[in-house]
Amino acid sequence: MKAATKAGKKKNALTPMTFSLLHATDFADRLLYKIIPPLKAGMIVLADRYAYTAFARDVARGVDREWVRDLYGFAVQPNLAFYFRVPIDVSLDRLLARRVKLKFYEAGMDMGWSSNPTESFRLFQSKVLDEYDSLVREFGLTVIEASGSITEQQRLFRKMVSENLEKQTT
Amino acid sequence: MNSPTPHRGAQGGVTPGHYYGHGLPYLSIDNYPGKIVALEGTDGVGRSTQTRLLREWLEVQGYGVVETGWTRSPLMQPTIELAKASNTLNKLTFVLLYACDFADRLEKEIIPALKAGFIVLADRYIYTAIARAGVRGIDSQWIRQLYGFAIAPHLVFYLKIDADALARRVLETGGMEYWESGMDLKAGDDIYESFRSYQRQLLKEYAAMSEEFGFRVLDGRKSVNSIQEELRRQVGEFLDGSGSPKVLSTEPGA
Repeated sequence: MKAATKAGKKKNALTPMTFSLLHATDFADRLLYKIIPPLKAGMIVLADRYAYTAFARDVARGVDREWVRDLYGFAVQPNLAFYFRVPIDVSLDRLLARRVKLKFYEAGMDMGWSSNPTESFRLFQSKVLDEYDSLVREFGLTVIEASGSITEQQRLFRKMVSENLEKQTT
Repeated sequence: MNSPTPHRGAQGGVTPGHYYGHGLPYLSIDNYPGKIVALEGTDGVGRSTQTRLLREWLEVQGYGVVETGWTRSPLMQPTIELAKASNTLNKLTFVLLYACDFADRLEKEIIPALKAGFIVLADRYIYTAIARAGVRGIDSQWIRQLYGFAIAPHLVFYLKIDADALARRVLETGGMEYWESGMDLKAGDDIYESFRSYQRQLLKEYAAMSEEFGFRVLDGRKSVNSIQEELRRQVGEFLDGSGSPKVLSTEPGA
């Protein structure tokens, strides 16, 4: 599964729809092998990104909002979903500090909005962030402001998770 | 994850040449002159032979024809072949891979051809995928919503056959194959029994779709020639009456 996604990305051959479907396929694979079995065993599954990423990203690419929600109808509803919110400039700075180049799809270069990767990233990700804001309301995501220090975020994050776990296990 | 909303009723609600459901909001296909003619039917019913003959005939008539077939997208074919060979994927991921293959062909072959006024001959369309998913227990409403981005064909022919006649025909022409026999459903090691039971279930799924999607049913037990004759008669009648696409000049101008 990964191979097809990688090959498609490498050739920049993906349309918004095939991008969306390939990621859904990968998600289905992970759901069935990595998420459902530990859930059955009573374990906690920590997911770094979930279906919400697809809802925000695919819709920013022009895929139908309702269609992509139906597509992920097979997903398990998480018990807790956190959204680490950050302004575009902060995320750009962080990404550029770690890497030389922004990735083609991450910067939404496939949309052809700008040939400048940084500018394209800004345009594309601002649409993604708009979608996330509406997801927060729609799915009741818990927002953590992520522009602050990691220590501060982590303290808050742990507190929220442990409170919730206590509530759910008692 | 939220409750699914049925967006599409039966065939009656969808005009040929339009998206079944939500479609691709970023690709408007209104008033494209091309037509989609789909041939459906289970494995071994003679569908590909009929498609080839129909294509030859249409081209002789002067129509521009683009053929598209299941799992033939350059993007997905290697992955699907690999997955089939290694048996690593489960039914849900298979369903999604097929959808991805279809999406790739839709955007890169079918829609450009429609825009240019070609006749798109589809050797299988989405209905085979829906039938196979149905047999494997995938939710029927979910799979229909998934394929809501597909375009309703102008004509869908369904080559109908019964499981016994099909079994004999497949045995005559090369034997029973793992996937065509539904061996992944693990109903037992007897490939003949598995084939018949799997195909019977598939045929039931096709039959259930017949009215919903407006299939034109043809008797798949008839001779190749008589089926082809009937196909040509109905396709010819439709194209004559449709006004477009007009017969194209034979030089590749489109």
